Amino acid sequence: MEQSVGKMASGSTNPATEAPAKLELRNISKWFGPVGDGVHAVDDCSIEVKKGEFIVVVGPSGCGKSTLMTVGAGLENPTQGEVLVDGKPAGSPGPTRSVVFQKFALFPSETVEQNIKFGLQMTGVSAAEQEARLVEQLKIMGLELFRKSYPSELSGGMQQRVAIARALVMQPEILLMDEPFGALDAQTRTILQEEVQRLHREKHYTVLFITHSVEEAVYLGDRVVVMTKRPGRIKRVIDLPRDVIWKTGDIELAAEHPEFIEFRREIWGLVREEIVSI
Amino acid sequence: MGVLTDRGKATAYGIFSLSVLLTLWICATSLFQWIEPRVLPSPAQVIRQFAWIITEPFSGLRLPGHILFSLERWGWGVLTAGLVGIPVGVFFAWNPWFKTFLNPVFELIHFIPPFAYIPLAVLWFGASTATQAMVVFVAAFPAIVINSQLGVAQVEKIYVDAARVFGASPFRTLCRVVLPAAAPSIYTGLRIAISNGWMALVGAELVVGKVGLGFMIAQGQENASVATIFVGVITIGCLGVLIDTLVQRSERYVLPWRRVAG
Repeated sequence: MEQSVGKMASGSTNPATEAPAKLELRNISKWFGPVGDGVHAVDDCSIEVKKGEFIVVVGPSGCGKSTLMTVGAGLENPTQGEVLVDGKPAGSPGPTRSVVFQKFALFPSETVEQNIKFGLQMTGVSAAEQEARLVEQLKIMGLELFRKSYPSELSGGMQQRVAIARALVMQPEILLMDEPFGALDAQTRTILQEEVQRLHREKHYTVLFITHSVEEAVYLGDRVVVMTKRPGRIKRVIDLPRDVIWKTGDIELAAEHPEFIEFRREIWGLVREEIVSI
Repeated sequence: MGVLTDRGKATAYGIFSLSVLLTLWICATSLFQWIEPRVLPSPAQVIRQFAWIITEPFSGLRLPGHILFSLERWGWGVLTAGLVGIPVGVFFAWNPWFKTFLNPVFELIHFIPPFAYIPLAVLWFGASTATQAMVVFVAAFPAIVINSQLGVAQVEKIYVDAARVFGASPFRTLCRVVLPAAAPSIYTGLRIAISNGWMALVGAELVVGKVGLGFMIAQGQENASVATIFVGVITIGCLGVLIDTLVQRSERYVLPWRRVAG
């Protein structure tokens, strides 16, 4: 057992490390209100997400991790620093960077179908192509029966599936997920965590994922970025093994694996320091 | 009563209270003659007057004619108030500069009673449809602007963010995301505007014009015919309720997602 763990861990020199950064947050600082007087949300954070990598940012609540995400998506401008996609300034938000919001943010006046097609219509995809991609996503996310439903008719878990489908249907180069399962009950969360894990392994999405759950971070992440309390700085970056057996199965099984437990303890220790320190 | 739905109960109570009123009316007039007919006509007299005005022209027009003229003036006033008021309200909320610039003017206009515009409307338009329509417009406009503005201002930022992320331009975000989200509030504004406009119309017709329900009431006073006044007042009340009900009912077809928001 010990030996196999070591072997898998050494296998973590993943091919993605040589690839260029798909998304780079470079020396990001963000103040809300005047510099020096307002709220200092994020201080000098740099994160590189390589192609096909799943980066999880974890930290105590209020540490500015969601701010990092809105800056990464282009929804807010950083006070200092820059956001790069393929080494070039990323500019305003656009379909290369799809976002899954914590509170789903589905348009209440539109059906599941209209919500998922929204981005395709805005970017001028042909009607036939829209339909094909819609059908594909409905199938992947298990939403075929809810095509004509309004968001208010769906459970939280179903709504978040729609939100994920709406993001994936754009075939984005980068997927930004802001505590996507934070508003869901524990059972639904587990199911969706496993589905996101499966999707990532099959399709190699490039993901920046924000969470406050250490368990979620260890299960989903290729690398975990631990943030300090506000103003959020990067405290530690921890590489996790990829392609290990416990990441391919259910999260309850993974949670019993010694390697998982070790990483969880290490990361939780780092987060805990931030919560308890004054 | 246990088998009735909430809506059924409301209808039952409505019928009950109207019946009590009618009974009291019958007692006070036909039955016991507590009140003289020239002060309060009996229901029978009012019904006779109704029949008479429907079949015989009164001051040049039968009752349906007066109703149509009133509806036309009211329709034009409310329509223009909606066509102007909704965009103004939306832009107040969408563009803070626009609001800062125009709000003082709006506040001032808002506090001038609609009837204060009647002399001006007469000087501008003479005794035409436009005169009463302008008064209706003035009465309807503020509610539409205020509620449209509120509706847009209350749209959560996360929806606008989501629209931006998925590549929508500001204009398409406005049309496809912001306006539908603001629609219930805009609808409320329209409902208030419609009833304000209706009341202002009758007021304006009392003062200006030679047709319409308000004019009919005024003629009733001239001819000392209380029954005519009652016919006018009842017609005005019933039409008001009818219009409001239609607008209320239409909401579920115009905003289908609200049906399930429950």
